[in-house]
Amino acid sequence: MSDFLREYLLVAIFGLMAFVLVGAFLGLASLIRPDRPSAGKIENYESGVDPIGSMWSQSQIRYYIFALLFVMFDVEAVFIFPWAVRLEAFGFFGLVEMVIFIFILALGLAYAWRKGVLRWA
Amino acid sequence: MLLNQFLGLAAILFCIGVYGVLTRRNGVMVLMSIELILNAVNINLVAFGAYQGDVGGQVFALFVIAVAAAEVGVGLAIVLLIYRNRRSIDVSEADLLQG
Amino acid sequence: MVATLLGILAQIEQAPFVRPAIDWHAVAPELVLLAGGALVTVFDLIFMERGRKYIPTLTGLTFLAALVPVLTLWDNGIARSLFDGAYITDRYALVLKALFLLSGYVIVLMSTNYMAEGDYYDSEYYQLISASILGMLVMASSRDLIGIFVALELISIPAYLMAAWRKRDLKSNEAGLKYMLMGVFASAIMLYGMSLLYGLTGDTKLRSISSAIADQGTTPIITMAIIFVIIGFGFKVSAVPFHTWAPDTYEGAPTPLTAFLAVASKAAGFVALMNVVLYAFEFQPEIAEPFIWLLSAATMTVGNLIAIRQTNVVRLLAYSGVAQAGYMLAPLAVYEVNGIEASASAVVTYLVIYAAMNLGAFAVIMAAARRTRSGEIDSYRGMLNWAPGLTVLMTIFLFSLAGIPPFGGWFAKFEVFRVLLTGNTFSGVSLAVIAAVNSVVAAFYYLNIMKNMWFMDAPEGTDQSKLKIPSPLVAALAITLIVTLVTGTVLAGPLRNATDFLAF
Repeated sequence: MSDFLREYLLVAIFGLMAFVLVGAFLGLASLIRPDRPSAGKIENYESGVDPIGSMWSQSQIRYYIFALLFVMFDVEAVFIFPWAVRLEAFGFFGLVEMVIFIFILALGLAYAWRKGVLRWA
Repeated sequence: MLLNQFLGLAAILFCIGVYGVLTRRNGVMVLMSIELILNAVNINLVAFGAYQGDVGGQVFALFVIAVAAAEVGVGLAIVLLIYRNRRSIDVSEADLLQG
Repeated sequence: MVATLLGILAQIEQAPFVRPAIDWHAVAPELVLLAGGALVTVFDLIFMERGRKYIPTLTGLTFLAALVPVLTLWDNGIARSLFDGAYITDRYALVLKALFLLSGYVIVLMSTNYMAEGDYYDSEYYQLISASILGMLVMASSRDLIGIFVALELISIPAYLMAAWRKRDLKSNEAGLKYMLMGVFASAIMLYGMSLLYGLTGDTKLRSISSAIADQGTTPIITMAIIFVIIGFGFKVSAVPFHTWAPDTYEGAPTPLTAFLAVASKAAGFVALMNVVLYAFEFQPEIAEPFIWLLSAATMTVGNLIAIRQTNVVRLLAYSGVAQAGYMLAPLAVYEVNGIEASASAVVTYLVIYAAMNLGAFAVIMAAARRTRSGEIDSYRGMLNWAPGLTVLMTIFLFSLAGIPPFGGWFAKFEVFRVLLTGNTFSGVSLAVIAAVNSVVAAFYYLNIMKNMWFMDAPEGTDQSKLKIPSPLVAALAITLIVTLVTGTVLAGPLRNATDFLAF
């Protein structure tokens, strides 16, 4: 068996262990806990909100613009991670580079703020 | 090193994406199909990069991810604009202009 | 896999960081434009409504300021190479940068009154144009797949937004949607080709790709990668059969943006295509040439045949632009016998002259639309009476587009034919014959517009008073007219010699 597959064997063993442990705990619990089923207990749990109406509900359009802004700025973080890994080696040069990068991002945020996109009404 | 499996996965994703772009009529679904193609590209780049021990592929993939986010942001904004004006995002209904 | 990744990480961990040497002079045009764009944004955020009327002027000045380092670099004359050859500033790149900045300036001039008098007067429009032009400057110098991809997206993404600029107009929405979906799909296909190229050669720099493919020889997968990449650029330059977005987007988008797409954006697509084909596929002409030959022949023929049937001037110019793209593709179909310098020179010459005459024609259309409020060819009847100056200008631009001496267009066509016929190969000569037939067909519909302007009577009830043209539009007309005139006459000889400078 190659090294590569052996590493995956480890993963498979971990996965199997997870199933065995969880199964054992749940099985043990079902032996000792009281059993009183009711209608309320089999409803879908949705963060405390009663699940009524169709599951294709429309959400407020206002969320959309925040979601978009979040996606933009969130994804730009992929350029910060590689920089952070080698922060010390880059030294002052790296710091200046990142300040410029973040300044341009901040300009985008300032734009959104000034144009009133961040206001919730 | 399993290179062919990654390339095969990417090729399948690519084909699903192209099929989706050509058959779907919903603007958002077309965008999602294009995302599939871009992810196929990312798999290719990272697999090739790892295979050759070169970081260039991963750097390329990072740029693809960042640019894809911008593309989708703009794309969704335009689809939303269309929805606001005509209450539908069916691409085949956009036929005011006939090439 | 995990072990390999850890190995790579360990490698990176050990390699000491060497600060890359940056030739600031070489990247000065891009930096000036970036700083200028940021300043315009800050200015807009501080003054909002009050500062709006200064935004077009500021943007125009930014473009002119970025032109200064381009000129000093040209004067300096040394080809500069940054980042291990991934970013090159030679005379070929500088000509293109000057072209992009000047067309950007002319488009700002054309937009000024159109935007100020329309319903959608927003300063963001100018910031988006700056971003797009910045992408073009980067594109002219990029000799690396990552650079080309990022530049292409920097050009396209603002253009998607600008195509949908008239927010409440369904046609403009549709123009934006079609352009965006087609463009994103095309760049995804192109990226897939690029990822294969990277995988097969192990490098993203075009020069290394070129030598690596030459070593490996042609395999089916390399062919596939090359075709995918060319298809991706084919969308950008609206080559048939990937042209379907162009007429719809051109008609629905705001007219200055149509000029932008038809000239600047198309030129940038050509630059990307030239860089990749001539640098990376230099030794694979047997794959790239026949494909480009087919694209070129189909593009000029289909573009012209559909253009004849058009009754709307903007759509007609859109299809004629498709046909012109066919002529521009032609030199790339014969780069093997002529050498890449000759082909690149012919395309660059064509791009510069095409930009001037097409922008001029669009400026005339915009000036005339202030009176006619429509783009129909019928509404140009009797234009001689109410705008004699515009009639003469339009005639010059149309003659130039048709390739009739002494205007710039003939010189551009001459260069293309010269490259096609030099090698005396079957593919070159056959393409030249197709191009010649198409030029005659094209002359027919250009002359039809002129017939309407000069000889037909204006429809009843047309306002016959002389048309007043706002000064920015006059300036745009003047710049394009001068370039169209001098490139065809006094500059044709020197240009012929100067194109040898373009040697890579």
